Amino acid sequence: MRLIGIDTGGTFTDAVVLDQGGRTTVGKALSTPGRVDDGVLAAVGTVADSLGLTLCDLLSGTDVLAHGTTVGLNALLTRSGARVGLLTTAGFESTPAIAKASKLHHLPEADLRAPSRWRKPDLPLRRGDVAGVPERIDLTGEIIVPLDEEAARAAIARLVAAGVESIAVSLLWAPVNSRHEHRIRELVREIAPDVHVTLSSEVAARIGEYERTCTAVVDAYTAPLVASYLRRLETRLRDHGFVGDFVVMRMGGGVQPAPVARRQPVQTLRSGPAGGVSATRALGARLGHANLIATDVGGTSFDVGLVIDGAAYPARLPTIDRIPLAVPAVDIPSIGTGGGSIAWYDPALGTLRVGPQSAAARPGPACYGLGGTRPTLTDAVVVLGYVTRLGATLTLDRDAASRAIDEHVARPLGVGVIEAAEGIVQVACAQMRDLVRRTTIQRGHDPSDFVLVAYGGAGPQYVGRYAEDLGVSEVIIPALAPEFSAYGAISADLRVAEERDLRPVPLVDAGPPIGAALAELEPEVVAQLGGGQLTVRRSVGLRFYRQLQRIDLPIPAGPVDADVIEDLLARFHQGYELVVGPGSAPPDTPVEVVAVGLEAVRPIVVPAPSPRPHRRAQPVRTTPTWFRGQANDWPVYRWVALGGGQRITGPCLVESDQTTVVVYPGQALQALPGGDLRLILQETA
Amino acid sequence: MTAPDPITLEIIRHRLAGINDEAAIMLRQVSGSQIAVEANDLNTAITTADGTVVACGDYVLCQVASLDLVTSDIIRNYSTDPGIRPGDQFMTNDPYVGTLHQPDVVVVAPVFHEGMLVAWCGSTVHQPDVGGPATGGLALDAGSIFDEPLPVPPVRIVEHDRIRRDIERGYLIRSRTPRLNALDLAGQIAANRAAVAAIQNLCRRYGTETVIAAMDHLVDAAERQLRARLRELPDGRWRHVSYLEHGTPAPDNSDVYLVRLDATKRGEELVLDFSDSSPQAPGAINAAYPALVNFTVASVLVYLCADLLWVPGAVARVVKIVSREGTVVHARWPAGVAMSTATSCQAIRVSVNACLSRMLEGSAELARLAMASCQSSGAGGGVLSGVSRSGEPFGSMTLDELTGGGGATLLFDGVDSSGSTTSPGASCANVEVNESYLPVLYLRRAELADSAGPGRQRGGVGCVIALRPHGTDEPVRVVSFAQGLQHPAAVGLDGGDPGRQSMFYAGRIEVVDDMLAGGRVEHALPLPDAAARLTGGAVHLAVTQGGGGYGDPLERDPAAVLTDVADGLVSVVGAERDYGVVLVRSGCDSGSAVGDVAGATSWTVDREATAARRRLIRSDRIGGREPAARVAHRPGRRLTNALDLVDGPGGRHIACARCAAPLSPVDGNPYLAMAVVEGPVYEAAPLPARYPGAERFVIRRLHCPSCASRIEVQVSLRSDPVVQAVAPIA
Repeated sequence: MRLIGIDTGGTFTDAVVLDQGGRTTVGKALSTPGRVDDGVLAAVGTVADSLGLTLCDLLSGTDVLAHGTTVGLNALLTRSGARVGLLTTAGFESTPAIAKASKLHHLPEADLRAPSRWRKPDLPLRRGDVAGVPERIDLTGEIIVPLDEEAARAAIARLVAAGVESIAVSLLWAPVNSRHEHRIRELVREIAPDVHVTLSSEVAARIGEYERTCTAVVDAYTAPLVASYLRRLETRLRDHGFVGDFVVMRMGGGVQPAPVARRQPVQTLRSGPAGGVSATRALGARLGHANLIATDVGGTSFDVGLVIDGAAYPARLPTIDRIPLAVPAVDIPSIGTGGGSIAWYDPALGTLRVGPQSAAARPGPACYGLGGTRPTLTDAVVVLGYVTRLGATLTLDRDAASRAIDEHVARPLGVGVIEAAEGIVQVACAQMRDLVRRTTIQRGHDPSDFVLVAYGGAGPQYVGRYAEDLGVSEVIIPALAPEFSAYGAISADLRVAEERDLRPVPLVDAGPPIGAALAELEPEVVAQLGGGQLTVRRSVGLRFYRQLQRIDLPIPAGPVDADVIEDLLARFHQGYELVVGPGSAPPDTPVEVVAVGLEAVRPIVVPAPSPRPHRRAQPVRTTPTWFRGQANDWPVYRWVALGGGQRITGPCLVESDQTTVVVYPGQALQALPGGDLRLILQETA
Repeated sequence: MTAPDPITLEIIRHRLAGINDEAAIMLRQVSGSQIAVEANDLNTAITTADGTVVACGDYVLCQVASLDLVTSDIIRNYSTDPGIRPGDQFMTNDPYVGTLHQPDVVVVAPVFHEGMLVAWCGSTVHQPDVGGPATGGLALDAGSIFDEPLPVPPVRIVEHDRIRRDIERGYLIRSRTPRLNALDLAGQIAANRAAVAAIQNLCRRYGTETVIAAMDHLVDAAERQLRARLRELPDGRWRHVSYLEHGTPAPDNSDVYLVRLDATKRGEELVLDFSDSSPQAPGAINAAYPALVNFTVASVLVYLCADLLWVPGAVARVVKIVSREGTVVHARWPAGVAMSTATSCQAIRVSVNACLSRMLEGSAELARLAMASCQSSGAGGGVLSGVSRSGEPFGSMTLDELTGGGGATLLFDGVDSSGSTTSPGASCANVEVNESYLPVLYLRRAELADSAGPGRQRGGVGCVIALRPHGTDEPVRVVSFAQGLQHPAAVGLDGGDPGRQSMFYAGRIEVVDDMLAGGRVEHALPLPDAAARLTGGAVHLAVTQGGGGYGDPLERDPAAVLTDVADGLVSVVGAERDYGVVLVRSGCDSGSAVGDVAGATSWTVDREATAARRRLIRSDRIGGREPAARVAHRPGRRLTNALDLVDGPGGRHIACARCAAPLSPVDGNPYLAMAVVEGPVYEAAPLPARYPGAERFVIRRLHCPSCASRIEVQVSLRSDPVVQAVAPIA
């Protein structure tokens, strides 16, 4: 029994290998641009080395290799995907260009107050590569204008002749009647059999043509690259003796078989952060917590995800690079506050601000010593002594960090460098805390019901600050904090989900249409997982009459009878009042069914980590560190040396090869049996 | 109490913005209508205890920019009876108190902490219907506010955190869409409740005094910034006239209403004087004072405060708004005001826009912020209402009017189909969503070639929308906002042309098909009237306005024109007519013979023919003479992009910035010396159509009489004089 999780990031590829008995080994390799599969094999290779195995030995004994890939995301962000042609209903060719007239949402913060920089999202599609096809279906699915096949053939031929490499088809009301979209795919196959085709009714069967069209275009844009990458990687793995299941992370949570991912690559786009939330869910299951807040401090962003009642909290409409995607996704609100965020004095407000500008990887923070002169959050923790070394080949230049803070923050504010550095950490952590508050308490969730989990390379340095004042019940820093996304890939269940928007039906009449839609979906979904022992979950999307936001509720297996309907109605009112307030659900307003969803899950059993021996580790050294304006030589512990149950009090640092945990004054840390750390914010003992 | 330390201040500032943003998100989640959720026709704000607006959301700026008018009314009238207490919330849709027009419903909540009033938070949502004779609240033929939805002055809708069911019923019974209104109301109340709790938490954590001091500091800082920006700009006087029409065209032009703005800047003082505007109309198109203030404050933020803090309360402290009660921009009760947002308010924004942008042009550093007008809401939109096949009444805006073009700037083209600047976060609805709410079938919604204002930087294009009834046998009533049909309304700058006019038609499909197929026969279309209905096979056609252009169109790079033609945003005919760019077919694609709009045909620029054509157009501007050569450097100090103040032997005068030709003494009117080319407005219409009354309006293109550079373009009643748009103050 062996599981491998792989996460490819911009700089590093992480591998986590779990063996029978809970032994965990991590490996890391530099990501090679353009040769992502090289990084994957190299990362797995380093694990093999440290286990004293050959790559073939390791891989041939592996049952599941789960992969979170950024190939599709990078193609989108760097605009290096396929040239896409869009076929759409004639008269509506401008749908992507009009973009619902949205010129402001998701712009960088610095552009929100600058009307001359307002602009539309940049969909990777040329205006000239959109072709209208005469046809029209109405909201009931009735064909008002039959598909003009001759015109469709001509449009396809024109796009292909113009050099289009991939085709998206998005017709009005296709989620209700997809016949024309399917016919157009047949026509493309006749004319240009090698061109990839994405149908909007397959990748995003949601009502709302702009978001559905964007999803189809992005899918078509990334499909050729993602499909060929996954094929190439799988071939190389097989060549090295791998015979297990090759599965890919989805941004909706869970993993799916590689062939399914190749068909709908849009689902792989932001799977890394979803991996972190999956890992948080699995950690919670192991430690007995159903409600968790997942927090990840990266170089340029701070991400938050929620696990509620043991399930990742879904996003209604995720966006990537301002482009809306109408697919299921784990909700991961993010702000641009990270280690690289630049700190500055704002003369207008007279305040110390952090971000929204961020130092790029080169020259990076001043402490990298690569020529950066603007102070960043990372520079602040370096000056304070919380971080004493940097990863890989970088050497740390504390003087450069100090000079940058002095010049740009301390002197304009009229304070010392240490006070300025502590201020930078305070302001940045307040921004992170605000995002956690916004995603919990302001959305009706009480933080005291939650355990906060901090991961990413930098999360353990700041969590002691940003988790303060939130009122969370507990803070956990997982043993695999720096490789948590890779761990998430193997801790996620194998999962395939489909949903269909329905034409709104009053709930009281909805039994038959719900049953029919689910009966249609179930075989499709089950087939994608290859049958076998599966858990099938069914859900229904409900809303008040004509409300646009819906609430999804699970329904039991079996016929959708009057009892099920009555129970749904009661649960819907409950859920609504939870958000809006007691007594707020208008009793006379009818409830409509607008969607059904079906998810098939095959659990992947992850072996529990072997328990730590009971022992009391001593500090390995002391290091000068500043807290509350005072410098002292505070102890440094090795994370791996901490014994199960050992409790240490702050201020102190706990180091591993990849990260440093900062235990602030007044806080304490307890090592859990599995190697995870529990941070106690208010030391009372 | 002195201001909190720089770190606490920043933490509180960030938190307040987050609380306000999250309130809007909650509002959208709870609320029901496609207006609120799809179009974001809503906004949220946080004010100080005295009502100064500190935080304002990114959706429809002008809905909450002056929320202080609502809170101050409540404080003034209700402090003792019925009282203002913790857990209370007040609702109003009274445009004479503080909303823009009756469909905009405001709900505000006081924030108390430890017995002290700390702040207010509140929101506005545009409701589908709030009663009155016409569905959607917009009646073209109202004689007074008594023919419109009767406003609800502020009422205490929530007491001790419980909604008052009696008051809620009294409000909902007016509406034809009570269920949607009830959901919107629930959303507003929930959003306020969440924001109140969050601000109270902030007080608990940092102390009430600190939170209050932080809010005050934020307003002070924004005020200082705005004053500094004003000091940076040269003093001067700027004028603009916008036109509105109401009713049937009359020989004496009594149906035409003028919004006149006279803006004066001295030092760090800015006075925006609207008092010379026309007397109020009987109904519909007037703005009450709160609408004037909301739109003016929002326009000042957009057009003057780029890259500064956007704190509406600070604008109110710096900018003096002068108006006269009884005018179309400051109506006296009981004048009707229900269509203010789409009519007089648009003219207010355009006027402030034009004056402030010309002011910015006086500074070489800030000129890049000057922006031509975006679409003016106009006739591209309206309200559809009737009875569906199931017998249920429906009524809603299509929101398609939000697809007009953005204004060009010194460096960039306007953003195509991007809506208006004072509603930056608003969106048009998906066609599929509109078809779910309204029994109609869209035939087309697409960007429209040649709808943008030509310029060196062109405006953004507008859109054409065609739809017909579907799923109902009853006639569908169509109420248009009815502005911008007779003449363009989105101003160009620095010699750029105005964005093209909007269109509205409810009638025969043959007429629509002919115009959309590129027919060249001009159709005489009727002006919208209150009784317009779609029956049988009738089709509704709307065109949204393009944005204004920036700079002389003859200076546009021919390659950019070619790209626009390939993208279907400029026609081949328009390229030659508006830009002097001559295109010829290239390659041998099997394109359509017309080739008017992009498709299979590819084109290239004929460089020689283009140069010749542009030479000819230039000399035609100045009576066939050879244009004078340009000078290498500007001759004096900037007055605008095109005009300089020059000190010469004969004293200070105003000169052409390009060729140094003197135009007038410093205290004279340089516009009188310019070479005017006057043309009928309907020649610029994006589709071949003409409305009654259009013949009264002209486009005047003003050029340097010496070098033939285009300096200014004005749309005007033929009988009105050229406006002296800029005057220096010595």
